[in-house]
Amino acid sequence: MPDPGFWTLQALNALQLSMLLFLLSIGLTVIFGLMHFVNLAHGSLYAVGAYVAASAAAVGGYWAGFFLAPVAVAGLGILLYSGLIRRMRRSGPMAQVLVTFGLIFALLDLSRLIWGDLALSIELPALLAGRTALLGIEYPTYRLFIIGLGLAIIAALAFVLGRTQIGAMIRAGVDNDAMAACLGINVERLFFIVFCVGCALAGLAGAVAAPLLSVTPDMGLQILIPTLIVIVIGGLGSLKGAVAGSLIYGFVQTFGAVLAPQLASVLIYALLAAVLVIKPVGLFPAKG
Amino acid sequence: MFRHTPLRYGTLALLAALALFKAVTADYFGLEILTEILILAILVIALDMVAGFGGMVSLCHGALMGVGAFAYALLTVKAGLTPPLALAAAIGITGGAAWIIGAICARSHGIYFIMATLAFGQMAYSYVFQTPTFGGDDGLGGIARLDLTAFGIDLNDSRTFALFCLAALAASYCAIVGILRSGLGRSLTGIMHNEQRMRALGLTVWRVKADVFGLSGMIAGLAGALAAQHMMFISPGLLSWKVSGEALVVVILGGLGTLVGPIVGAAAFVLLKHEVSALTSYWHLVVGVILIAVVMSRANGIFGWIETRWTARKATRRTGPADAPLKEARTDA
Repeated sequence: MPDPGFWTLQALNALQLSMLLFLLSIGLTVIFGLMHFVNLAHGSLYAVGAYVAASAAAVGGYWAGFFLAPVAVAGLGILLYSGLIRRMRRSGPMAQVLVTFGLIFALLDLSRLIWGDLALSIELPALLAGRTALLGIEYPTYRLFIIGLGLAIIAALAFVLGRTQIGAMIRAGVDNDAMAACLGINVERLFFIVFCVGCALAGLAGAVAAPLLSVTPDMGLQILIPTLIVIVIGGLGSLKGAVAGSLIYGFVQTFGAVLAPQLASVLIYALLAAVLVIKPVGLFPAKG
Repeated sequence: MFRHTPLRYGTLALLAALALFKAVTADYFGLEILTEILILAILVIALDMVAGFGGMVSLCHGALMGVGAFAYALLTVKAGLTPPLALAAAIGITGGAAWIIGAICARSHGIYFIMATLAFGQMAYSYVFQTPTFGGDDGLGGIARLDLTAFGIDLNDSRTFALFCLAALAASYCAIVGILRSGLGRSLTGIMHNEQRMRALGLTVWRVKADVFGLSGMIAGLAGALAAQHMMFISPGLLSWKVSGEALVVVILGGLGTLVGPIVGAAAFVLLKHEVSALTSYWHLVVGVILIAVVMSRANGIFGWIETRWTARKATRRTGPADAPLKEARTDA
């Protein structure tokens, strides 16, 4: 039996994976809950974020990329929103899935055109490069940074969604957008803000993930399926669902790979199928 | 319910004539492309049967095709079954797997149905990818084609194999039209339009969905077994969700729920892929932009667009130009 340090290490790994997935899935799930819009290109935005971060980091160091990537991806989000997504709002989910599927293809090749086929990497700043002693083990500081960042963003979003006026407006919009509009809430502008914040978080996730994984054109495709699994397990539209889904995915994936390597990848899909059979709308959907 | 219009018959006749012409005259490379189109066409009409007539937008048909391919390959290479038996078994196994998936997913709708089928597809992919018996990452080779020398047909010749695939496509098409016109197919379309009402009429909704999904799976299994015989080599990549996504794109590009459209879409997609990838390595960008343009135009794919135009023109001719805008608006709705 491995020692307790081993379990701590795996738990931290699982937590770090969960936080990364959370950054992506929260944007996707709130966009879906509010706008009923399935943005499959969310993963591609994450990849663009990673590329922007890698380019900026090559010039101005890690922190330049860290701060620039969310801004750049939010800018791209604004372009997509005004060019495509606003026009697709009234069409059915099938058309939206397909348009964003087309966007995946287009963004994949555009990033290949701009940044080439070779994998890029980012140097970590000295502050985050080493290892930190924690709970009797040595753990990479950067991964701890990701966990901390994820927790901070969960706290911030919980505060904004639960305690502020704009949060109340967003919750009202998710619950019943027509009624919210009748009460004088500018739902269309709300959509726009939420969409931009979601894109910015996707860009941030890309910037954060870039030093861990190498930056390749298909990294957006690789993260898309886990993100979708997270939001479907958690239930669409809710913060609680995104947190729960990310944690479940992170822990099942990490401990599955350690305890039953043969079954690890099948396990998460079996879990997803089980959730869909027992609770077809996920564990914590925004609407009862 | 599915109906043949003169336009659909005409398009089918034109496609069949073109395929036959190509099968007789094309060189080796042309025959490879033709066979690829024919196999993809079998897969996408199977998908159109559930997506276009039952509202079950499946993202696991690529995986089902992969199951058919692997079943055929394993049964011939490892279990030593004769190819005809293995072909029948592969179709049966895939149909069974699809029936189970359909039965489990029958309660889900919309995006949840897409996700649930995606989950099952990925499950199959991961399982095949990680199991050494299936060859893992390396895939399986040395797959034999059907032996029809008793009838004087040699399928190892690529021209004959292309003709064989054309026959398989024709048979699958007829089977699907038959299914859609049967009571089962009519119930399915009824469920797509109003599930609540069909349930009130006393229909066991999940059974209908599962049965049609199973039948669609059998046809996807046939496509898989043909693909395995075509390449004589298979890899787990065949089961990946990208294949399922591409199949869905082809159905939409061609025209959802028209059955003829997806065949047009399959031809357009494969030709486009080869033409564009010969010019530039960024063919995904071109396909992506075309896909966005087609969906944004609000037409039901290439064939749907032609059909709308056709009926609008016929309406104009029959009633005179004064009524035309009204008629057009009605066909658009």
